[in-house]
Amino acid sequence: MKVTWVWSIAALALVAAACGGGADIEVADAWGRPSPSVAANGAFYMVITNNTDSADHLVAASSPACAVAELHESMMNDGVMGMAPVGPAGIEIPANSQTTLKVGGLHVMCIDKQAEFVAGDTFSVTLEFENAGTVDVEAEIKEG
Amino acid sequence: MTETLVPEAEHPSSRRWLGLSVLLVPLLIAGLVFWWGFNRSQPHQFSGSVIQGLSAAPDFTLSSDRGPVSLSDYAGRIVMIYFGYTFCPDVCPTTLADAAAAIDSLSDDDAEDVQLIFVTIDPARDTADRLGEYVRHFDDRFVGLTGTEEEIGSVATLYGIYYRAGEGSEATGYLMEHTATLLVIDQAGNLKIVIPFGVESDAIASDLEYMLR
Repeated sequence: MKVTWVWSIAALALVAAACGGGADIEVADAWGRPSPSVAANGAFYMVITNNTDSADHLVAASSPACAVAELHESMMNDGVMGMAPVGPAGIEIPANSQTTLKVGGLHVMCIDKQAEFVAGDTFSVTLEFENAGTVDVEAEIKEG
Repeated sequence: MTETLVPEAEHPSSRRWLGLSVLLVPLLIAGLVFWWGFNRSQPHQFSGSVIQGLSAAPDFTLSSDRGPVSLSDYAGRIVMIYFGYTFCPDVCPTTLADAAAAIDSLSDDDAEDVQLIFVTIDPARDTADRLGEYVRHFDDRFVGLTGTEEEIGSVATLYGIYYRAGEGSEATGYLMEHTATLLVIDQAGNLKIVIPFGVESDAIASDLEYMLR
């Protein structure tokens, strides 16, 4: 009985590992909001999953859609909304966990947009992680 | 314990179900009726802070790319005012998109009774032309207003809006810090609701619908 249990758990673990995709860092739902060319800047949002046993950090981003891309965070202080670049350590993705870049929070700020962002367009965004290296994603332009 | 269980187990199960239904069905109906009546009698829950009593929204005049605009131009309509800046990539476009979606969800007649005014708190970078093109991207009916630093400052003060230029990066230049609330003025010209950032379009639409009823 006990031995069967052990084997079952081992088998399950193997299956889970095989289905997990294996990539150290996975990025899903990368998107940005439509904005006219007169809006100088835009933002990209996404869900970043760290499948490894050690924390990783998103330290830089770039995209042909932006003259410069920076990692920023919007935050509320005493009822006043502000936005600032994140510190030099970048954005932490804890071990075996997720960090979500979302509206009103962490985002990739796309400075001096090189194109109008039209719903349905996609732009490639290159993310640079401290451990995992470079990860390319396609960000879709869509409403919320 | 076993004494009570034994006789009960001997009852035909159909009779037990019948007894249960006789009891439960009326209860269920009563519950539904009560829930329906309760829902109808509930006051509307606004999505922001409600200004109690009458608080007349002060009139002002600023510039758009289509000439001067005063709040009083929209007397009799619901006016939503938002103070922001076009350089803002995250919070301002999200609020404008949510407000646009809320107005869009109204009937055409109702939508005509709602006006959104975007006032820049960054007049140094936001010209009237830039503002006009920017706000009309979200909704053709939106109006974008600018003025001198002094004019903007006094309108913001009237509406309790705080802002200042904060530090950015080399690439962004300065970034504004600002009160990011959506102010809603009712048809009688009173400031009615202060909606905080992050309220979704459905909730904004529900407030507008309630005020239009």
